[in-house]
Amino acid sequence: MGKKLWSMKMNTATLVLIPAAIGINYLGKLFAQLLKLPLWLDSIGTCLASMMGGPIVGAIVGAVNNIIYGLTADPISTIYALTNIGIGIAAGVLAYKGFLKTLKGAVLSGLLVGLVAVLISTPLNLIFWGGMTGNSWGDIAFAACAAKGLPAWIASAVDEIIVDIPDKIAVLLIVYAIGKGLPKSLLSLYQSGEEIADLD
Amino acid sequence: MKSISLYEEKGTMLNRTAPESKLCYILAAVAVPALTGNRWAGIAFTVCSLVLLLAGRVLRKALPMAAVSGFVLLTVVVIQGMFRAGNATPVFSAGPVVFYREGLSYALHIVCNIMNILLGFCVLVLTTKPSDLIENLVRRGFSPRFGYVFVSVFQIIPQMTETMSTITDAQRSRGMETEGSLFTRIKAFIPLISPVVMSSLVNTRERALALEARGFASRRKKTFLNEETKTAADRYIQIVCLLMTAAALVWRIAAWLT
Amino acid sequence: MAYVTAEHLKYKYPGSDALALDDLSFSVEKGELIGIIGKNGSGKSSLCQAIAGLIPSFYKGAYGGRLLLGDLEVRSADADELCSKVGIVFQNPFNQVTGAKLTLYEEIAFGLENMGIPRPEMKERVEAAMAFLHISEYRDRYPFDLSGGQMQRMAIAGILAMRPEIMVLDEPVSQLDPQGRREVFAAVRSLSRQGITIFMAEHNMEQIADFSDRVMLLHAGRLVAMDTPSRLFSRDDLEEYGVCPPVFTRLARALGIRKADGTWPVTLAEAKELLSVHGTAFRGCAHE
Repeated sequence: MGKKLWSMKMNTATLVLIPAAIGINYLGKLFAQLLKLPLWLDSIGTCLASMMGGPIVGAIVGAVNNIIYGLTADPISTIYALTNIGIGIAAGVLAYKGFLKTLKGAVLSGLLVGLVAVLISTPLNLIFWGGMTGNSWGDIAFAACAAKGLPAWIASAVDEIIVDIPDKIAVLLIVYAIGKGLPKSLLSLYQSGEEIADLD
Repeated sequence: MKSISLYEEKGTMLNRTAPESKLCYILAAVAVPALTGNRWAGIAFTVCSLVLLLAGRVLRKALPMAAVSGFVLLTVVVIQGMFRAGNATPVFSAGPVVFYREGLSYALHIVCNIMNILLGFCVLVLTTKPSDLIENLVRRGFSPRFGYVFVSVFQIIPQMTETMSTITDAQRSRGMETEGSLFTRIKAFIPLISPVVMSSLVNTRERALALEARGFASRRKKTFLNEETKTAADRYIQIVCLLMTAAALVWRIAAWLT
Repeated sequence: MAYVTAEHLKYKYPGSDALALDDLSFSVEKGELIGIIGKNGSGKSSLCQAIAGLIPSFYKGAYGGRLLLGDLEVRSADADELCSKVGIVFQNPFNQVTGAKLTLYEEIAFGLENMGIPRPEMKERVEAAMAFLHISEYRDRYPFDLSGGQMQRMAIAGILAMRPEIMVLDEPVSQLDPQGRREVFAAVRSLSRQGITIFMAEHNMEQIADFSDRVMLLHAGRLVAMDTPSRLFSRDDLEEYGVCPPVFTRLARALGIRKADGTWPVTLAEAKELLSVHGTAFRGCAHE
């Protein structure tokens, strides 16, 4: 009965999950700013959607998230939809493989999702910002690497690693904590198959 | 009415122009400079966007958007100007800090590029109601179900931020600390966010049911309550923008082949 | 002639072992107003969703028996056939706002756009639905800025505009304040007068007794009884099913005042009449 990993089937429940997940991304970011945390925490919804609906749903959340953000606040961030698509896919695959069932798995997933984010964001940072992220801690590292004469792509990757890896570990831990509290009946809306069994 | 959209109805020509025309304009403004690699093309589009924003009486609203990127651009100028690999020709120095021509020139290139993209998007974003944009795309064949996803985000986010401020106040009045050491603040994050996250996920079920009860899963061809608005100029704007993009693409391919 | 018919209707949610609906059989005439009662978890919402066709079109799981709406069999009907036959209104008005429209007027048209109704007819239907629910004056208001009662009437209008023959209301007032409840109950009454067949799940027994032609009592997914409010609320075993009869019935029982047919009064009007016959003063209790 279970849904296939790469299922493209979008029932209404899944479609409605997408705006809610984008809202959660936005809230995470707002709360992180409110509490002055040195993390973005803006991909909680993407990873939750991946866990609940699979990698394709997570990828769509990531893409739509940044397109909307681009249309409302920061046009340049539209291109980072690519990073969020990667995050959604990675988190979805890891959740499907059962990584988000244990605390250790969640930390490991955070690390892997963070690495995916670094791999995609670094080239984008190089193309658009000369390699920087706009996060002060990361950019100090960038400046330090550049001052030592390291090539821009290494400096940029270091910048991105410092920002992304701790952030994604925190995000996946939060997703793990929330996931444990979700009602099973809700999860079955996204994960059950399309066929109706007979009771006659 | 609360909305995260920056759109404002000013009754200007730009408000009346079809959203697709503005999308075509963005395509040209981003693609032509990128394909031709010509810095002047980017500057020309930037100036054009500025004129359009001025004519649409929304230039002032573009400033906060520019400010978002502006801060990052400033760090780009400083860091690239000082440290970019290949920096050789000093331009000026402030105390022990030396700025180089190569780095600054590279930073200027980034600034122009970002400003061009940013202002191009502003032409669309500041003058178009998001629901009109999506509705027109649906008329052109975009999936109405995905159209719904986009439009509803614009309304769900303000609703959620409202819930968020209620929760923040409630948790504060219960004595939760939202200030203090990093550890205290991290501890505050989960109880703040999890009730909203839970309720918004659980609410999706009833919303999905309510949508299906209103024909959301219908396979019939959708109709629209509102008539489409467009001006006589729209068709020409779209043709010109698409032609420019196509010409730039041809130029690029020709440049590769020779 | 029976209009809505269930024959051994059974249903199990995906991933659940217990039957949510267990062998339900009943039939309902066109234009009847059927109250659905039972404690939480008795199957009221599942029955509502089954009648509206959301079980099994939205929830998959396992299904048995048949449910007929006129000549339409719910299980094999497609989304379009169901939408034009039956509409459903849920508890929380907030969750029923589509979130895709900026005014009440546009919000009500949402379903009609999906069904591909031509624009002139769409406008006419929206106007009629707004007028019927007395919300025309809020037409340009932002849906989320309405009060609970207004929002719920907007939800009903959105369904009504689709012109269903059957309307299901699943505890439509449970999230509303007293003012909102009155507004919504008044709307349900006028819908019933229009000849629409109505199913309404509700916890307020006074309202159920007052409104319903017949009442269904559910317990653990089974249909315990389906009868007129008088006979149903005169049962002696209601407590076993977590149901507390209307206050008028309890009062009459305490006073030992029966109607001529042996049942107890269930509405204010009935109680008043009986009490005045008995010469008992019954003033000052004239609330709903």
